[in-house]
Amino acid sequence: MTIIALVSSILLGVVALAIGYAQGGASNYSFWFLLLGAIWLVTHFRKWYWFSSLALLIIVFAAAYGVWSEFRTLWMLLGALGGLLGWDLSDFARRLSYASPMDDTRGMERLHMERVGIVAGLGFGLAILSVVIRVERLAFEVAVGLVLLAALGLTRLVIGLRKN
Amino acid sequence: MSRSLFLSLLTYVLLLAGMITVHGEFFALALPLVTYLLAGYLQGPEQIKLEATRHLSAERVLPDSNVDVTVTVTNRGATLEEVLLDDLVPAGLTVRSGSSRHWLRLKKAESYMFTYTVSGSRGGYVFQAIEVQVHDHLAVGSSTLRIATKERLFVLPPVTRIRQISIRPRGTRVYAGMIPARAGGAGTDFFGIREYQPGDPPGAINWRTSARQLDKFYTNEFQQERVADVGIVLDGRLRTNEFARGHSLFEHSIQAAASIADALLTQGNRVGLLVYATFLAWTFPGYGKIQRERILHALANARAGESQVFSDLEHIPTRLFPPKSQILLVSALSEDDLNPLIQLRAQGYEVMVVSPNPVKFELSYLPVNQTIELAGRVIHMERTLLLQRMGRAGIHVLDWEVTEPFDLFVKRRLSRSPFWLRAIGR
Repeated sequence: MTIIALVSSILLGVVALAIGYAQGGASNYSFWFLLLGAIWLVTHFRKWYWFSSLALLIIVFAAAYGVWSEFRTLWMLLGALGGLLGWDLSDFARRLSYASPMDDTRGMERLHMERVGIVAGLGFGLAILSVVIRVERLAFEVAVGLVLLAALGLTRLVIGLRKN
Repeated sequence: MSRSLFLSLLTYVLLLAGMITVHGEFFALALPLVTYLLAGYLQGPEQIKLEATRHLSAERVLPDSNVDVTVTVTNRGATLEEVLLDDLVPAGLTVRSGSSRHWLRLKKAESYMFTYTVSGSRGGYVFQAIEVQVHDHLAVGSSTLRIATKERLFVLPPVTRIRQISIRPRGTRVYAGMIPARAGGAGTDFFGIREYQPGDPPGAINWRTSARQLDKFYTNEFQQERVADVGIVLDGRLRTNEFARGHSLFEHSIQAAASIADALLTQGNRVGLLVYATFLAWTFPGYGKIQRERILHALANARAGESQVFSDLEHIPTRLFPPKSQILLVSALSEDDLNPLIQLRAQGYEVMVVSPNPVKFELSYLPVNQTIELAGRVIHMERTLLLQRMGRAGIHVLDWEVTEPFDLFVKRRLSRSPFWLRAIGR
């Protein structure tokens, strides 16, 4: 189950980036993204788990570059999300390999998929919302202030929830 | 770098890039990462309270015997989403069935028990702790702790039961035993004749000798049998034990030392053990079953080794052994061991050497060809000469071919002959 999800995530990440770049007129980069996906898969099966962090770094920076180059944000978001999921599942697969045959790996996998799915969905939803909803009259400085305020608020929320 | 730090850095880079480039989409790009981090932190365990116990099905076993290890871990704190339990198996033990590592979710007040089977070669093993890694469900945060649960497992050398070992030390202790004491008194073996003294039983009067005298009676004296002090010296030097291709005589020497110690203690003697290897491991002399355990534990932990100081037998600390006691050396012997052993004899010790034959041992696994056969013959002659010189110095040497079971070898070479054979001088 994890392997299928991992392969799907990596594919989602690299294909989304490839499409986004191709649509933006930088189709020569698309091949490299697909190659990155292939290398990521190979390294995962060779148990070089450190590569997933590098791959996530490349994908996030590629998505950021794409956003800066004003390629379609949706594809860039999907690419980053795919990279994040691939990175998470790669590490999960590594932890899964420590389990003994008697352990309830199926249950743990199912639980992890559910939770990571919810987190990914929530993250993606929020990201899309932030792209769609635009307050045109808001100054950028105010927006930065709001982001910082939100970060502070979220931190307080997490601390409060953990105490409860 | 931890996963949370890596993600946080990525997030900050995106936020910073958004602020620098005045591009809102960067924030959107950072949002899935932020959500992931927050979800991980929310699920992270606040306080980990785990208790663990370990139980071994046996604490002393023979080599390659299976021992079941049962570990129980109880969660006294909040629910732990991902727990990796790793019972640290001591090096040298092999997990035969089951697994010492488990990955699970541990709810509040829940216990988890797992069993696995280990086996190993001779040695003393200490199970120190159980390593626990706790993650939240996204492994954003993780903490590792060790729960100390100390258990010991001794894989003792096999002890071949030997009925009797015949030794003749120059001195014995005062307690009755089975070693001829070179002194007249109560016993079974004839020792000599002395003049009758009041109180001697009439049955002990030697009528034949008394008949030759007109006014005196003579009484038969028998040899007293007492317990003796025995010091077993196990030679653990690499140069006498280790051979090419990883073959070693040391395990045979260990087996011999264990069997000899067992037999001598069963006879009631006071036995000590000195392992002469990288350092001197001395087991203080004692009697009985407890001493047997001590010696077996010392033998279980014995390792062959090399050191500059103990490269020859000159540094055997003779002060450890009582004067006139029996020293029993278990060694494959090398040429320069003759003089130290002669010195031991000169100091008044009775010295016996049980020597696993290294020549035949090495030839047993080498390919058969003319060169090796010739070399074998030369080395065999050298060894025979060494043993003869030892014999001439009054050192009793037992040349043991390790292919022969030790108990049969001892029975053939060291058993005390039965009473009726001794009576006719055999």
